[in-house]
Amino acid sequence: MTADLLFVATLVGATLRASTPLLFAALGGLVSELAGSINIALEGMMLIAAFFGVIASAFAPHWLPGAPGLYPWIGCAAGLTAAIALAGLLAVFHLELGADLILAGIGINILAQGLTMFLLMAITGDKGSTAGLASFAMPRLHMPLVDAVPVLGVLVNGDGLAGQNILVYGAFAAAGLVRFLLYRTAFGLHLRAVGESSDAALSAGISVRKMRYAGLLSSGLLAGFGGIFLAMGYLTLFQTDMVAGRGFLALAAVFLGARRPAGILAAALLFGASQVFAAQLGLYAVPSQVVFMVPPLVTIAALVLFSLRRRRAERRRVEAGVATIFAHSRIIE
Amino acid sequence: MTVLGREILRAMLVLAAALAVGFIVTALVSHEPLKAYRALLTGALPEFARGADGGWAVRRVTRMGAVLEEAITLTFVGLAVAIPFQARQFSIGADGQVFLGALAAAAVSLAIGGPPFVVIPAACLAAMTAGFLWGLVPGLLKARFDANEIVTTLMLNIVAVQIYRLVIMDLMNDPAAGFLTTPALPLPSVLQVMIARTNVTAMLLWAPVAAFAAWLLMRRTTLGFEIRLMGENPLFAARAGVPIIRTTVLSIALGGVFAGLAGFHISNALLKRLPVDLNPGIGFSGIVVALIARNNPLAVPFAALAYAYLQVGAQVMERTSDVSREMVLILQALIVLFVASDRFGPRLHAFRRTRPFRRRAA
Repeated sequence: MTADLLFVATLVGATLRASTPLLFAALGGLVSELAGSINIALEGMMLIAAFFGVIASAFAPHWLPGAPGLYPWIGCAAGLTAAIALAGLLAVFHLELGADLILAGIGINILAQGLTMFLLMAITGDKGSTAGLASFAMPRLHMPLVDAVPVLGVLVNGDGLAGQNILVYGAFAAAGLVRFLLYRTAFGLHLRAVGESSDAALSAGISVRKMRYAGLLSSGLLAGFGGIFLAMGYLTLFQTDMVAGRGFLALAAVFLGARRPAGILAAALLFGASQVFAAQLGLYAVPSQVVFMVPPLVTIAALVLFSLRRRRAERRRVEAGVATIFAHSRIIE
Repeated sequence: MTVLGREILRAMLVLAAALAVGFIVTALVSHEPLKAYRALLTGALPEFARGADGGWAVRRVTRMGAVLEEAITLTFVGLAVAIPFQARQFSIGADGQVFLGALAAAAVSLAIGGPPFVVIPAACLAAMTAGFLWGLVPGLLKARFDANEIVTTLMLNIVAVQIYRLVIMDLMNDPAAGFLTTPALPLPSVLQVMIARTNVTAMLLWAPVAAFAAWLLMRRTTLGFEIRLMGENPLFAARAGVPIIRTTVLSIALGGVFAGLAGFHISNALLKRLPVDLNPGIGFSGIVVALIARNNPLAVPFAALAYAYLQVGAQVMERTSDVSREMVLILQALIVLFVASDRFGPRLHAFRRTRPFRRRAA
């Protein structure tokens, strides 16, 4: 019985860890989406943050000998800066040069992939990973007192009771923070107004451009945290293409979560759980190819279910006379 | 200047700008940036040398062959991207369609015997059907469930690649090969080589034909008109009676037909057997080609040729200098960014939003 509970607690911990990068990136996607600009480039921003985080933390001992506690934070700062810079590049191309956001996003993703592989080769001479470099992980946060309680200890502090990475807590804190920022501050109100109707916002004296910049740059910051967690927590090295589609899963989570922080939290947990489930399947002689199909299929199924639910809700509102039948015509917009 | 002249000038400008920025990046990390760039820009050229007996000989034919082989693949993939993009459906699913197209072509080639004029069309048709069907899925998901096609096609790419690997490992594996691959395709199903020491086949002629067919489809049929109208202004198209659902589905699925042809080319002309570790990623090159050609099917073969030339040059650069071939990914990204930019050179109408956000409208 306790063994079963322990197993479940281990899985819950694994789900939290798998959800962390998705949650960070999806929150980033939400902020820019609500400002009216869809961010296809979450994937690239995660990747570039992961790369520069690892490289900077590995070189930090050369720059600052004798301050080992600082190394992961230097890496973290470098990675976040890189992600924000990439988001800034996307914003400049979109808002200043008039590039289509989706095409520019695709370009930014390719740029991140190319730049990381190119620089990885130039810096380490290795095309696959930074396995030859000693990089650092972000610190773990160990909760005191709960270790003595059998299942709770594993649940809170993870397998081996070493404590969860600080960024796991950070992601869930970020969800609350983003929610507060979007729905309880003037900044959030302005941001959402710009996304809702840029013309109305403009005539109310809100700078549409400034808000869209803010949305894209903060999505870079949040996606950057996701990338940092992947390379300085989940693993402690950088591999080419290590983000492996998580940025796009995060984008799916934004839509699936109905563009609300709580919904996004649930969607990120669902995707995280499906990754853990896939890993468990791998233990039972299921071909790995089938295992790899689980998360994308769950994503598609979830999008379809979400759409069915929304349509039913719409129909109910039409029947209740609250909305008109034209609510359905959204499909062609 | 004519419209065509302006388009060509614009494409040249974008390429030159991307190469210039790429050179700066190269110079930052390389000890021999000039040598590297010379290899990148001229490495793909064949070499004409005077032999010892006084006659002319052509060397490095394989490199030119590699350019043509790659250009054929890229033409098909570029068309596969250009058609949905003209409908403003951002399908990124060409990768998965190529994989399943190649798989279908190889499976049919291995399963049915007979003379080339039976097997080759059958394999080709199978590849096109596979691409079409795999394109139907995101099309239907978008039209019926309003599921974002960028997300669904990316997810379906993962699924397609895994199906491909599963089938090759479990159903079509050749245990005698020493690595995970299908058996070699039977000789009648393999296309005849046209240039010695290369894999350039009759597909070299069929690729421009496909581009012309795509142009006819987009410019001379009702469906093509509906696709373009929907891409320009979906609201207007709906009011004008364009069947939005059917057009959405078909624009993505028809792209799949061309991606399937790329798969057929890979399987029956280039590789002649399918290894399990075929590299994904060709779909993104297709996006770049479609963008350089500005989604015009007739321009796609030229854009594909230019891009293939750079890609082969990059491989030469990697072998002869200290710069790795990923440089091409950076160039690819810069090209996409520059082409997508409205205010970079002459205006780009195809991708304008219906209501562009103006800077100082108030």
